[in-house]
Amino acid sequence: MNNYIVRRIAQAIPLLFVISIVSFTLIKLAPGDPVLSFVTPNMGAEDVERIRQNLGLDQPMYVQYFVWLKNVLSGDLGYSLVNHRPVAEMIIERLPATFGLMGASLLLSLLISIPLSMIAGSRQNSLFDRGLSLISYIGISIPSFWFGMMLIYFFAVELHWLPSMGMRTVGMDSAWDIIKHGILPCTVLTFMNVSVYMRYIRSNTISQLEEDYVQIQYAYGATKGTVLLRHVLKNVLLPVITILGMSLPELIAGAFITESVFSWPGMGSLGISAVHGLDYPIIMGITMMSSVLLVVGNLVADILYGVVDPRIKTTG
Amino acid sequence: MKSKKMWLSLMLVLVVAIMSACGSSGDGTSSSSNNAENTATTDDGQPKDGGSIIIAVQDDPKVMNPIYAGDRVTLTIDQSLYAPLFNVNDGKKTYVLAESDSFSDDHLTYTLKLKDGLKWHDGQPLTADDIVFTMDSILDEKQHSSSRSQYVFDGKPVKVTKVDDLTVEFKLPEVSAAFEGALVSFSPIPKHIFEGEADIEKSDKNNNPIGSGPFKFKEYRPGEYVTLERFDDYFAGKAHLDSVTYRVAKDPNAANLALQNGEIQMRMVDTQDYNKLNDTGKFNMLTYPEGRLQYMVFNLNVPSMQKKEVRQAIAYALDKNELITASYSSADFAEPAPSILTPDTLYQTNDVEKYDYNVEKAKQLLADAGVSNLKLRLAYTNTNKPQTSQALYIQQKLKDVGIEVELLPMDGTAYGNRTLDMNNTDFELSFGGYIMGYEPDAYKSLFLSDAAYNYSHYKNADFDKLWNEAAVQIDETKRGDLYKQIQQTVANEMTVYPIAYTKAVVAVDNTYGGVEDANPKPVVMLEDLSKIYKK
Repeated sequence: MNNYIVRRIAQAIPLLFVISIVSFTLIKLAPGDPVLSFVTPNMGAEDVERIRQNLGLDQPMYVQYFVWLKNVLSGDLGYSLVNHRPVAEMIIERLPATFGLMGASLLLSLLISIPLSMIAGSRQNSLFDRGLSLISYIGISIPSFWFGMMLIYFFAVELHWLPSMGMRTVGMDSAWDIIKHGILPCTVLTFMNVSVYMRYIRSNTISQLEEDYVQIQYAYGATKGTVLLRHVLKNVLLPVITILGMSLPELIAGAFITESVFSWPGMGSLGISAVHGLDYPIIMGITMMSSVLLVVGNLVADILYGVVDPRIKTTG
Repeated sequence: MKSKKMWLSLMLVLVVAIMSACGSSGDGTSSSSNNAENTATTDDGQPKDGGSIIIAVQDDPKVMNPIYAGDRVTLTIDQSLYAPLFNVNDGKKTYVLAESDSFSDDHLTYTLKLKDGLKWHDGQPLTADDIVFTMDSILDEKQHSSSRSQYVFDGKPVKVTKVDDLTVEFKLPEVSAAFEGALVSFSPIPKHIFEGEADIEKSDKNNNPIGSGPFKFKEYRPGEYVTLERFDDYFAGKAHLDSVTYRVAKDPNAANLALQNGEIQMRMVDTQDYNKLNDTGKFNMLTYPEGRLQYMVFNLNVPSMQKKEVRQAIAYALDKNELITASYSSADFAEPAPSILTPDTLYQTNDVEKYDYNVEKAKQLLADAGVSNLKLRLAYTNTNKPQTSQALYIQQKLKDVGIEVELLPMDGTAYGNRTLDMNNTDFELSFGGYIMGYEPDAYKSLFLSDAAYNYSHYKNADFDKLWNEAAVQIDETKRGDLYKQIQQTVANEMTVYPIAYTKAVVAVDNTYGGVEDANPKPVVMLEDLSKIYKK
């Protein structure tokens, strides 16, 4: 088992390296110039040139990459080109907001999608099943920013039930206040996730119910409910773990958009600003962090797989 | 059957939702009579103290230090945090930290006296030492200040010395009429805080800024907000509000909803949203000139644009008033611009060739130039609504005189890059906009032959000479005359086609007074938030 983990991590290193080269190249190929995002016409051309040199942007691309790589390997993600604060510090201060939002929506998504889609799968083509399918199609189809706007419009502006933006009331610092601010963005993310998970879990439930072991349980006189809870659930959870691992990138991407709409102060907001300003140290920092997260997430999913289903060997 | 019904009812719910959300987008023509600068005058004339205001900004501030600020958000926050030496509005100077200033007879020495008893937010006295330290930091190449070149003349930096605690002397290497204008954006930073910092820009001390303005720093939560609180020792009288919060609102639509919801009390809004917000009756809609020129520029790198008659023909073929109505929905938000200098700039004149709409003249000029079947490319930023409308209008209007226009919408950064490329021949026409301030010399960087922002690539030694003479001409009459010649040259040569002096719209919640005294100002919304009070 330990060997397996070590080997997986060793495999991940070249992958991360490739990701870093590709991302760096893409950022550098993107049209635009980070310096131009803070140039005013009152600045002379020599000022612009000085700033460019100071940021090392006058160097060839590969030199910039190796400088960046060298610093990263020594544990230094560099400074933001725009804010001039350490990248690591800027990302770390945004993590709680993003993880809080993502974690809450992930938990809710599972709590909602597993029971609902198992019921739907066990009553194929019933009104309930079709209704859920429709809702999940809507969830997959509508753009999340639009859905977010709708929620703001109804629940914040029309009904005045909830705040529309930010993570806190200015100057307040209570858990309840943060939760209140989180409800709408969390709803958006949860709705999007549930729509995706439900389709997987439903089809999985259907195929499990056709398995022999289920028929045997019925023959023993077990009720549908018992079968679902005692036997099918376990086998349905297995693919869920994979889906979770696979949907991490979507979760992160969804967080970007949703955080922007709700001005939620997480990594997504930071990333969007960095992209606008072509602030490559920040973009690279977020990209590498997300990549590490993905690699670790998939590794954990594989290990859990082995825990849930001993037939799958994670040795050797 | 059942499922069909459900589909239908769901679709209905969606449609209703969409309609209710989008139905109020104010895109119609504006006919509101209560625009312009009228404030609610329901207060009894006695400003109350206390309360707070939340102002929306679209992003986090960068380094909260005035020797680096170049972006709108940071400048807006610095406006309350750091006091300048003086302000200039419509050519009139009002002293802030400074008590007086004067030039020597030969105009090479500028003496500045500070007010007595000035204090930093931490209680330390603000003296001549701070002014000298700030100027030296700006001039120190190792500190990468973005405004260094404004204080370097002909390659030589200005020299600053302390005369006594309240007096500073600036020695100029050559006569410069523009020097004083540069000082408008000069706000001192505290020497006792930053002395000895190797790299001020990366200093942790910027995270807890010590300024000299009406509000002092209280708290910054990245991605959320910056809160400032009243500075009780402010020399020009305490502010009325207890605190000011600048809240990051990334999404403009969501920010407008938060404004209507009362979570935000002030925001700069797009002119398209004017009616929607004005109709709620909840806001004081400040509409004021933002000192900005929006223009179209001819790219003389392309041979077809090098004939003056062709450029003039294009100017005659366009109806400026129609062009503005087509793009800004109403002349309330943009006035037709005759000159390349904005009305708030010294020596701006409307006494230039205006090219009133005249199709016959346009055709005649094209014929004289021997040009037919002209095909042009017009580049603009694809996210900019007014530019998009203008591009379509110009395409249609130029067709009337036999010129075919291909539209090239681009993303902002790509567009910025292309226009800055000195040898760019990718398009003949493009749009742009600038806010340069009251000092006409600042415009040089857009018009000199070898200037980085000379988007028209028009090169003319005589024209350069006018700019350079005007920069050092101290006699106001003569200087005004030079700038008049400059404006007329651009109009006659038609290298830049000025379209509009645009206005900014700031929505302020009706429950606040003192907005007029706070003085609406380009870029930063309000000049002096200490005048704002809660009714």
